[in-house]
Amino acid sequence: MALFEARNIHKRFGSRVVLENISLSFEEGQVNGIMGPNGAGKTTCFHCLTGHYKPTRGNIIFDGQDITGKPPQRISRMGVSRSFQLMNLFDDSSVIENIILALPDFRRRYAQATRSVFDDRELLEQARVILDQVGLLGQEWLPSLSLSYGNRRALEIGVALAANPRIVFLDEPTSGLGAEATRQLASLINKLRSKYTIVMIEHDMRFLFELADTISVIHWGQVIAQGTPDELQSNKWVQRSALGEVA
Amino acid sequence: MSAMLEVKGLQKTYFKGRFDRTPTFQLGADFVIEKPAIVGMMGPNGSGKTTLFELITGSNSPTAGEVRVQGKNIHHVRTDQRDRLAIHYHQSYQVRSFRSLKPNVLMQPADSDYPVVHLFDEPQFNTQDGYIGFMLDFFRKLRADGRLVFLCVHPNERFHLEILQEICEQFIFVQKGVVTQHDSYDDVLNYQPARDYLGQLLTDRAA
Repeated sequence: MALFEARNIHKRFGSRVVLENISLSFEEGQVNGIMGPNGAGKTTCFHCLTGHYKPTRGNIIFDGQDITGKPPQRISRMGVSRSFQLMNLFDDSSVIENIILALPDFRRRYAQATRSVFDDRELLEQARVILDQVGLLGQEWLPSLSLSYGNRRALEIGVALAANPRIVFLDEPTSGLGAEATRQLASLINKLRSKYTIVMIEHDMRFLFELADTISVIHWGQVIAQGTPDELQSNKWVQRSALGEVA
Repeated sequence: MSAMLEVKGLQKTYFKGRFDRTPTFQLGADFVIEKPAIVGMMGPNGSGKTTLFELITGSNSPTAGEVRVQGKNIHHVRTDQRDRLAIHYHQSYQVRSFRSLKPNVLMQPADSDYPVVHLFDEPQFNTQDGYIGFMLDFFRKLRADGRLVFLCVHPNERFHLEILQEICEQFIFVQKGVVTQHDSYDDVLNYQPARDYLGQLLTDRAA
C-alpha cells in the first residue's frame, strides 16, 4: 500500500474549479515529482495534501489513516512535513537555532523556557544530526542570512526534516538556484531518498527526470500525465522538445 | 440516447447599443456531434470562436436557438452546475461567471460529476518544454472516457497544423460568425475560406 494517497481531490473557490479529480499515490522511499505550467494548481494541490486547504471533495490517506480536513499542525506531527515556495527562515538567528526551533523535543520541553537551549546537549546533538544530513555541519553558528542561497535552501529542507517526518513535500526547491547550487541540491536529495519519502513540485524538468521515480504532470487543475521518467520521455513530443536531449 | 452536443438554430447578435439596434456582430451555428470525439476549431481572431464556446458552456445567452449537452438544455441548468456539463479552459483553469434571471432552485441539476464537453481555448503549445505530448495524451484520454473535446487553435506555426492533423477527427471552422462543420482534416483544407485563412502555412508544407 502507498504511504500517502490523494483520492479524487476537488477544490473549488466559489465558481472557480482549481483542482478537478486529482488522484496521486506516493510509495514509501520514492522521490515523486509534480510538474506543470504556472497557474496549473500545483501549489493548491500541495496545500490540500498538507492540510493548509480543506479539499471540497475527496480523501487524503497517510499511512492508512484518513487525514482529510485535519489541521496542518496535526498532520505535521503525524509525520508529514513541507517547505514553501518562498523562503521561511529566521534570518537573524543562527543556522542551528533555525533547526532547534523545529525539533519536536524543543517544542515539548521549552514551551516555558527556564533554561537556555544551548545547555541542552541532547537537543544540540539532534540538531547537528540534521545539519549533517543537509551538509551544513561546521556552519551551525553562522547567522542564516549569511549563507549562500543554495545553502539557505538546504537549511530550509533541514527545518522540514527537523520535525522528524516520514514524507517531505518540497515546493520548487530549485527556484532561484544557479546551475552549481542545483547540482548540489540534486545530490542532497539523492542522499535523503533512502531515509524519507519525497514529493516535490518542480519547474525544472531535467532535474525531475534525473531524480524522480515517478512524475505527475498537472495542468488545468488535473493530472494530465503520470509515469516514470522513462515512460514520459518516450512521448514523441517530449523527444522533439529541448528535453529530448537529456533522454 | 441523446447526442453529446446539439447546437440547434443558435444565434447570437450583438447590437450597437441599447437603443441603437444596429447589429454589430452576428453568429449563427447549427451542428450536432453524436459521439465522443476530438474536434478541432479554427478561425481568424474576432470570428466568434470564444462567443461560441461561451454559448456552449452557458456563460453567455443566445439571442435564439439552444444548446443541448447529452439532451439537457444548458441554459436551463443551475448556473453553479453548468460546468459539470461543459467546461471552458483558458490557458490556465478558469470558469466564467454566469448570469441568469432564474434562481438556481428553479433550474435543473446537471446530473453529471465530471464535465461532458471540454473546450480548450488556445492552450499554450510550446515545442520546447515537451508539454504538448502530455496535453495531447490527456485529450485522447478524455475521449476514451466518453467525453467530447474541442481544441481551439489559431495556427500561426506549422506544428500547430501537425497537432490538429494528428489528433482531431473532425473540425469546426468559424469565420465572420459563420460556423461550418467538416468531417476530416482534408475536408476542412478543401474548404476555400479555411485555405485562405491558413494561406502561408499550407504553402510552407508544399515547399
